[in-house]
Amino acid sequence: MGTFLQFVVLGLGLGSIYIGLGTGLLLVHRATGIINFAQGAMAMWGAYVFAQLRVDGRLVFPIGSIEFARRPTVAVAAVIGLVTAFVLGLVVHYLVFRPVRNAPVLAQVVVSVAVMITLQALVVLRFGANNIDVASILPEGTIHVLDVDLPTREIIMAAIMVVLAAAVWAYLRFTRAGVATRAASENERAAVLMGFSPDRLAAVAQVVAVMIGTISVMLGSSLTGLNPDNYTLLVVPALAVLLVARMESIGVVVVAALLLGAFQSVIGLLVTKSWWPVWAQSGLDQVIPFAVVMVILFVQGKRLPSRGSLQTLRLPDVAIPKLKPIPAVILLVLGVAALSLTTGTYRFGVTTSIIVMLLALSYVVITGYLGQISLAQGAFAGAAGFCLSKVTTEWGVPFPLSLILCALVATALGMLVALPAFRIRGAQLAIITIAAALAIERFVFNNYTLTPPEGNPIADATLLGLNLGVREGRDLSRMAFSLMVLVVAAILVWVFIRVASGDTGRTFLAVRANERAAASSGINVRKTKLIGFAISAFIAGIAGCLIGFSRGQLSAESFTVFAGLQVLAVAYLGGITSVGGAIVAGVLGPLGIVYVLLRGVFDLGEYYPLISGLGLILTAILNPVGIAGATREQVDWVRSKLRRGPAAGPSAETGSAAPRKEPSRV
Amino acid sequence: MPESPAQEPTEASREPLLETVDLAAGYNGVAAIRGLSLSVGPGEVVALLGPNGAGKTTSLLAMVGLVRPLAGEVRVLGAPLGRRRPHQIARAGVLLVPDDRGIFYGLTVREHLRLAARKADAERETQVLDRFPVLRKLEGRRAGLMSGGEQQMLAIAKALLARPKVLIIDEMSLGLAPKIVQEMLPAIRDLAKEDGIGLVLVEQHIELALSIADRGVILNHGRVVLTGAAGDLLRDRHLVEAAYFGAEQFADTEGTLAG
Repeated sequence: MGTFLQFVVLGLGLGSIYIGLGTGLLLVHRATGIINFAQGAMAMWGAYVFAQLRVDGRLVFPIGSIEFARRPTVAVAAVIGLVTAFVLGLVVHYLVFRPVRNAPVLAQVVVSVAVMITLQALVVLRFGANNIDVASILPEGTIHVLDVDLPTREIIMAAIMVVLAAAVWAYLRFTRAGVATRAASENERAAVLMGFSPDRLAAVAQVVAVMIGTISVMLGSSLTGLNPDNYTLLVVPALAVLLVARMESIGVVVVAALLLGAFQSVIGLLVTKSWWPVWAQSGLDQVIPFAVVMVILFVQGKRLPSRGSLQTLRLPDVAIPKLKPIPAVILLVLGVAALSLTTGTYRFGVTTSIIVMLLALSYVVITGYLGQISLAQGAFAGAAGFCLSKVTTEWGVPFPLSLILCALVATALGMLVALPAFRIRGAQLAIITIAAALAIERFVFNNYTLTPPEGNPIADATLLGLNLGVREGRDLSRMAFSLMVLVVAAILVWVFIRVASGDTGRTFLAVRANERAAASSGINVRKTKLIGFAISAFIAGIAGCLIGFSRGQLSAESFTVFAGLQVLAVAYLGGITSVGGAIVAGVLGPLGIVYVLLRGVFDLGEYYPLISGLGLILTAILNPVGIAGATREQVDWVRSKLRRGPAAGPSAETGSAAPRKEPSRV
Repeated sequence: MPESPAQEPTEASREPLLETVDLAAGYNGVAAIRGLSLSVGPGEVVALLGPNGAGKTTSLLAMVGLVRPLAGEVRVLGAPLGRRRPHQIARAGVLLVPDDRGIFYGLTVREHLRLAARKADAERETQVLDRFPVLRKLEGRRAGLMSGGEQQMLAIAKALLARPKVLIIDEMSLGLAPKIVQEMLPAIRDLAKEDGIGLVLVEQHIELALSIADRGVILNHGRVVLTGAAGDLLRDRHLVEAAYFGAEQFADTEGTLAG
């Protein structure tokens, strides 16, 4: 009992961080309608500045740094950290979130994911990837309650965060600006008509949110140390807390945050017991928030509130793809040429690009065509990859069968994740899928009983006696393997185009445009979503298997949540609604050819995550249709000009390129 | 200030509070209204009438900056709107009560009144609530739980509380029982006269609107097809009806009634 109580109190430390992040998330959502996936990363930056000042007196900026002669005191360092947070909140609001205020939900999710990737990459570059120890701000000690010694730090920390959350509650409840923020979240136009600037209210909310998050991370990091991955991803349980509070109630955020923290801590205690099954020791702390959110969504059964806004722009247009033999042959020839003209790491880069193209294609299916935001594609790929390791080495399943079998496992997983998509959509679905991805990563990929840490070797593929392995002797990137990847990719792209241009593709677009309208014209929306998730997870699964074959063995690091998000980033960069976009994504994608060139030629490999993050922010703001989409628009424009010229009249334009576009109104 | 018909010409001849000059506005570069010129003086009530799709709401949105002009301009208190943002125009005293009433279902009546007044103004609040005594009893209630009539009263009350110079009301009668409309419109007119507020009403209920307005402006297909003193328009119902239904004589030229 005593130990139990101690662990509950220890969990309050984690719970306090959830309060800080969850309150901030709620406030930003209220003020802007955006669910900020970067909340954890943004809160982390100020805390890093604080910690570094305390470690060696260096004040680190994104570029450059100032060295203090003496280490500043805790108070001074904390103030500097908070000022940094203040500036960061303003900068992110005005440069990033404000331009996408009226953009489609997808662009908003992508932008916040991009901010998250960028800040995380920046932290790794500027502060290093390792854990930093942070001196405690709070006095250490214990108090004696009910015959148990309870740590005081966690209790004080929880008290501070509860008070801060109460302050935010009071702001929303009692101040004129706070009431206006609530008003604007319900009816933005009416608030404008009363003389309020939603923009300024949003800036205030953003700054307050970052600062309260930063305080919680500063306090919390003195218990655990700072680590770029952990704190960035703490946003996921905080998002779960936000959903539990139905994005409305700060009171529920506080209670749910503390309960979740305590619960995770107690789970940490329970898994050490001898009766606890070994296979379930790892990652339960992530599985639980996911399970909690799923259960609550199903029990509540109500639609979560979404925020009213001034206007919503459309998602990028979709051009129905057509099978054109000549471009297809050209692309294939280009692919073969790129592979045969390169060797070693460069050929490996091209091969990886083709695989990443497939992963991006799975985003095109689920997000571009079906309009559902899934952040779990990387996890689907990973599941297939680890399955491949078991299937090939332990059961000896031969090549094409093993590939399909494992992709089907990913498909099943995808259909499971599709279940919540029956009820929710938009950014909330993004929350569920990132929670699912994190749960799969921690519970499966990091679970040593399922995926042994000494490695998960994958047997080379052979087909009819032909060795399709990636390595042989000193050749690190065999042509046979690359061609196999190219063939598999070509088949999948062909299947995709068939599906997308047929009836299924049309039903996808109908569901994307308006679920109710689709249902009223006889489309089974749930079945359509299930099919969409299945197809996209299957493609992701194949990509995961190919990654497995290309590595020869897998570890948990092969399929992190971040890797999946980076692929989403480049998929959006390329253009989320077309095969062309997926190809661009493949070229730009992580470990693809551009990455290899950056690393090999310019020695800039470590800047790759930062560059892709910044590129994504810029794309989402300036050009929501992506690179391929913008190119297509320009091509269409030139074409219509050329056609209009000789025909001399606007009548020539109608009936040419325009009707092929399927506009969507979301 | 007691109102009398004799005073109206002098009031209207003062500097207009709100003026549109040859205004064209619309969506995605397509004009929904063209060549709109009208003005509202202190204490003047202008009824903006027309069939569905005539451009009434677009005109109102352009007046408060929610739709940007494609040509021409909007002048508030003699100064062009220019690049001012909608919330700045609202602060300058031009308030629109939109057809969704512009209230917040999650907020209480008290919170609405709090938002409306930039500074606490007990005197004005008493003055306004005396006109809508029902709201006193509902102070703690959420707007979403009130009846349509109560919501509309709240919408008008909160607008009046901000001491507007120009009050623009879009389709107040939408979703309201005719009886309530018949009670509320004259009350609003009286308030406008007392405070010298310029009032622009968009209404489907032609007769009622003209009976309380000083002037009527009838739009069709995005253009003004008929303007005149409200009394004259009321008398010449056939002209109004012809303008409504797009009779030939109004297709191109702007009809004006003497008076």
